[in-house]
Amino acid sequence: MTTHIPTVARKEFDDAGRSKLLWSLIGLLVGLVAIGYTAIWYTTDDVTAAEVLNFLGLPLQVIIPIAALIAGYMAVVGERRSGSIKLLLGLPPNRTDVVFGKLLGRTAVVGVAVGLAFLASLVLGGVLFGSVPFADWLGFAAVSLLFGTTFVGLAVGVSAAVSSRGKSMAVVVGLYMVFVALWELLTAGPYYLLYDEGPPIEAETWFLLLEQFNPIFAYTNLASSVVEGTIYPFQFQYGLQSPEAYQMTPAERFPGDAPFYLQDWFGVVVMLAWLAVPVAIGYYRFKRTDL
Amino acid sequence: MVAIETTGLTKEYGDLTAVDDLNLTVDDGEVFGFLGPNGAGKSTTINMLLDFARPTAGSATVLGYDAQAEADAISPRVGVLPEGFDVYPRLSGRRHIEFAAKTKGADDDPDELLERVGLDPADAERPAGDYSKGMRQRLATGMALVGDPDLLIMDEPSAGLDPRGIREMQDLVRRESERGTTVFFSSHILEHVEAVCDRVGVLNEGELVAVDTIAGLREELGGGATMTLTLADRSAADVRDLVHDLAGITDVTASGRTLECTVTEPAAKADAVTAVAGAGVSIDDVRIEEVSLESLFTALTTGDAAENEGITGTAEADATAVEPGVSR
Repeated sequence: MTTHIPTVARKEFDDAGRSKLLWSLIGLLVGLVAIGYTAIWYTTDDVTAAEVLNFLGLPLQVIIPIAALIAGYMAVVGERRSGSIKLLLGLPPNRTDVVFGKLLGRTAVVGVAVGLAFLASLVLGGVLFGSVPFADWLGFAAVSLLFGTTFVGLAVGVSAAVSSRGKSMAVVVGLYMVFVALWELLTAGPYYLLYDEGPPIEAETWFLLLEQFNPIFAYTNLASSVVEGTIYPFQFQYGLQSPEAYQMTPAERFPGDAPFYLQDWFGVVVMLAWLAVPVAIGYYRFKRTDL
Repeated sequence: MVAIETTGLTKEYGDLTAVDDLNLTVDDGEVFGFLGPNGAGKSTTINMLLDFARPTAGSATVLGYDAQAEADAISPRVGVLPEGFDVYPRLSGRRHIEFAAKTKGADDDPDELLERVGLDPADAERPAGDYSKGMRQRLATGMALVGDPDLLIMDEPSAGLDPRGIREMQDLVRRESERGTTVFFSSHILEHVEAVCDRVGVLNEGELVAVDTIAGLREELGGGATMTLTLADRSAADVRDLVHDLAGITDVTASGRTLECTVTEPAAKADAVTAVAGAGVSIDDVRIEEVSLESLFTALTTGDAAENEGITGTAEADATAVEPGVSR
C-alpha cells in the first residue's frame, strides 16, 4: 500500500503558501524579532547578543502557540465543512494520509515562520550586538520548533476529532486558556483544597509533576536551560503560591536530586505527548466518522 | 464481471432509515442511472460505496473489492465526482489536476484533460476559488477522469450546469462509455439520465422501487396518461384532494391554477373533470398527454409504496413495506 502523506503535505504547503495566513505569521514573528531587537539596541547599553536572545523567550511563548493553533485548528474540519475533503478522499489518499499529510504540511508552514524568525534574530543579533552564541541560538531554535510542532499537532488533532469549525475553535481556545490562564487554578486549587494551603516551594511530587505537564512551562524550562538567564512563563497568577515558587522550575523546587520526570529535559516528553495524544484521538475519531 | 454490487445495504441515522436493504448490481461496461428525488438516499448510497459513510448493515463491493475493508484498492481505479464538494480556492485548476495525477500515479496531460471537460488554458491558470459553480463541476470532472478510471461514480453531475453544460456532460459520459468505462451516476432529473443510460434504478425513501432499461420502464407503464387541468379562478390546491381520492388516478400535483393528474384508467379522466366541475370550479383548459417518463418517475417516487405496486413489476426491492420518511 502506497502512502500519499507527502503528496497531501505538499498540497497543504502549496495551498498555505498562497494564503495570507502564512505570510501574516511570518510577518508577525519576523517583525517581532526586528522591532524587539531594534528597541533594545536603541534603549539599552551593555547588552550582549546572548541576553537579547533570552528576551525573545517572552513573545515567542505567546505567539508561537497562537500562530500554530490558528494554522492548525481548521486543517481537517475546514475541509469537511467546505466539502473539499470529498474531492480529496475520492482520490487515492485515505483518511490516514489526510490527517498525517495535514499535520506535516501545517507543521512545515509554522516551521518556516519560526525558522525565519530565528534567522532574523541571528542576523540582527550579529549586526546590532556582536557575536551570537551559536550553540544557544541553535538549541533555542530547535526547542521553539518543537514547541510550534506541539501546538500544530494539538490543533490538527482537534480539527480531526470534531465535526464543526465552532467546536474546533472552542476546544483549541479552551485548551490555550487552560495553559495560560487557568493552570494555577486547576493545579494549585485542588492542592489548596487537599492540604489547606497553597503549594509551598517544596510541594508534593505529584503537584510538581503536574506542573511539568503544562507545555508552556515545558518550553520555558527547556529554553532557559539552553540560553543565558531564565525565561519565565507568561501566566495568569492567582496568588496560590509564593512569588518565589512562580519563578522556579519543578527540578529546582524538588528537595534534593529531582527524579528524571521533574528534570527540564522531560519537557521534550511533555511536548511530544501534547503533540501525539491529540493527534491519536483525532485520528481515531476521524477514521470512524461518517463524512 | 460486476462493477458495483450492494447486498442488503442499509444506513440508519438514529430513527431515520436513509438507505433500506438495498440490493443493486451494476454490470461492467454499462451506464447506470441512479434516480430518485432529493433525500431518497442516493448520496448516502454513493457515500457508502466510497467509504465516506459506513453502512449500518449489509455490504457493498466496487470493482470486486469490499467498499470498506479494501477501499484503498478501489480509489486508484475509480473516478469520483462527489456531491456537495468544493475546490481548493487558492490552487489553480491545473494544480488540482496535477495533484490528482500525482495521487493516482498517472501521467495525463493536464491541459488535454482540462480541455476535455471544457476549461480553457486561461481558466486553468486561475485560482479555482474564482470559478463559477459550473466550472468547479467541470474541474472536479476532470480530476475524476485522471488516470483513465475503470469506473466513474458521479453524484448529481448535472447540478449547477446550464443546458449546454448538461449536453456536454452527456457527451462526456457517452465518450467514456465508448472507452469501456463503467459509469454510475445519480440524478433527480430523469431527462438528464434517459439520453445516456443503459439502465436506471429508481430509489425512493431509501428503497429501490424499479430497476430496468428506459424502454422497459416505458413498457411497464402501459396506457397511462397525464391530464392537466387549468382552473379559471381557483387555486388548484383547493380541489387536489377531491381528485386524488378518485379510483384510477395515482398522483395529483397542484401548482398555482394547474392540476396535473396521473391517470391509469381512461374512464377516470371524465370522473376527474366531473368532480372538479361539480365542486363549482370552472375549468379553463383540459390537456391530455401520453405519460412521459418524467411523470412515471414522479409516480414511482411520490405516491406511497402500496400505490406504486401496480407499476413496479421489475422492482428488485420489496416495495410493499411502508417505511418512515427519510432525510439525506
